[in-house]
Amino acid sequence: MPVQELMTAAKPIVVEANGLTKIYHRGNEEIRALDNVSFVLNECDFTAIVGPSGAGKTTLLQLLGCMDTPSAGEISIGGQSTRGLADSQLTRLRREQVGFVFQNFGLLPTLSVIENITLPTLFSRRKAKARADELLDIVGLKHRRDHRPHELSGGEMQRAAIARALINSPKLLLADEPTGNLDSVNGAAIIDLFHKLNHDGLSVVVVTHNAILAESAHRIITMRDGKIESDTHS
Amino acid sequence: MIWLSLAIQNGMRRKVRTLVTMMGVAIAVAALFSLISFQRGYQLGMQGELDRLGAHVLVVPKGCPYDAASIALHGASWPCYLKADYLNKVRQTEGVQTASPILMNAVYSADTGVQSVYLGAEKGLLAVKRGWHINGKFPEAANECLIGSTTASTHHLSIGNTFALPGIEGEYGKVSGILAPTQGADDTFCYMTIENAQRIFHRPNQLTHILVRLTDPNQMDNVVNGLRACEAGMDMNVVPLAHLFHTIQGLVNTTRTLLGCVALVALLIAGAGVSNTVLMAVAERTREIGVMRALGASPGDIFKLIWLETVSTCLAGGFLGVLSSGLASRAVETWLRGQLPFSPTGALVHPELNVALLCLLAAMVLGSVSGLLPAWRASRLSPVEAIRQGAM
Repeated sequence: MPVQELMTAAKPIVVEANGLTKIYHRGNEEIRALDNVSFVLNECDFTAIVGPSGAGKTTLLQLLGCMDTPSAGEISIGGQSTRGLADSQLTRLRREQVGFVFQNFGLLPTLSVIENITLPTLFSRRKAKARADELLDIVGLKHRRDHRPHELSGGEMQRAAIARALINSPKLLLADEPTGNLDSVNGAAIIDLFHKLNHDGLSVVVVTHNAILAESAHRIITMRDGKIESDTHS
Repeated sequence: MIWLSLAIQNGMRRKVRTLVTMMGVAIAVAALFSLISFQRGYQLGMQGELDRLGAHVLVVPKGCPYDAASIALHGASWPCYLKADYLNKVRQTEGVQTASPILMNAVYSADTGVQSVYLGAEKGLLAVKRGWHINGKFPEAANECLIGSTTASTHHLSIGNTFALPGIEGEYGKVSGILAPTQGADDTFCYMTIENAQRIFHRPNQLTHILVRLTDPNQMDNVVNGLRACEAGMDMNVVPLAHLFHTIQGLVNTTRTLLGCVALVALLIAGAGVSNTVLMAVAERTREIGVMRALGASPGDIFKLIWLETVSTCLAGGFLGVLSSGLASRAVETWLRGQLPFSPTGALVHPELNVALLCLLAAMVLGSVSGLLPAWRASRLSPVEAIRQGAM
């Protein structure tokens, strides 16, 4: 067995996907967004999912984040299978195990940075003031604590969104085109931040068209037509 | 950060739209509050007015009993008169405890343009007006007068003063007593002996009305039948005041029912408006709802958020409606007095805290019901669909 595979096998599994298939219907047309996709993500992995538009990258990310259910196949998050789980159970799993980062940041415009960061704790009924302050420090936004999103730069908004994704201390961070709306300088800062978080033990999965971000990942899954075309470890 | 604060902040994003929605609720709630306050005020005012009159039955000349009652309560000149002889017939009727004759006349002072109301009465009136407190004594001598508190204050009169009777040339009166405030029309009246009034107004052996108290008010129907059957019965109108109260209240209640339906329709329209506004807000914030679902919000959380947003908008509208209705109550009262054929002297619109709370509760119920559809639709949004739709 190659050394890389031995190392991978030694780490605990965070996500296990088996035969994932997602079919959408548009009228009589059947669209197979994912077709029998299987892979394993381990703890502390930094994985980039790349591929052309329509390859199924975002669909895969949504399934990994329990935001949708597969038409066929099975997915386990932190050792718990999502098969047959009710919406409330999927919500709890997502809330506790997964953090989401979006291309358009998704910050609530009426809330300050600190209020946006603590928003998920409203849903998890937790108190996380100390954690929020710690995250503000990690993402370098202490000085922007009480600012509204419209007062921030794109890079700052994305850093606030990342802090928000981490407030419930998830094991897995999913990011959909996190640098898509940023210039190269801010994009590079976000990439650095992802690596720092990954170095601290967080599993990161990014869907991206950004070659620099993809090449900096430990593993690149390339998708085409709903299937994994290649899966390479650096 | 709490749910309500988040809901209010969401509502404040579109300030103008939220304000217009709130105004719709405010108008409906203001209509409801005014209506209930008017009904309470009118009822209390009428009851107070009749209590102050002190009589169980009013005997008046033939004609419209409601007009006659209105004149007797508020004070004015009468179009026709009773013969003084009828008083004995009334007093002889079984069940009548006290019958107090009155001759009322109103005159305008050319100098001031103010109406002065004079009443000739006997001392027996005090057996009818049991709530009166007189500083001094009831008129006994020909020129003595009992002055209402407002009139005494207006003309700076005190006991023993002699004054020219306003609006009556060449006539003077001496203040024998001043009536303590009654909060009714009596405060503006000037009482004198009935003989003096008959002389001044050239109405010898005539009366305008007779105030009757019964030995047993439960025997009202028997006494009224007795009065109508007496020798003078054909020439006078016997008005049981309790019946009068119920009849007027019935007329007011009919109007109230009609206006109540209008207020209800206004509430329903406001509710539909609120629902539509929040549905629009949900459509605009579809992506945001998707993001919140991705961040761990359950369908119940989304429902709660949208529902709270609707309820808080309606409550704010309700508060605005109650406040504006309370502030405008004087203006509404003035307008109502112009519309009503008969209105009591006291406050016509009677805003009360419990009515205000009831109206706020109605606004809350309206918000709760109006918010159900948008909250339900928002909570049913699939996170994936919500994010995808919102990105379009």
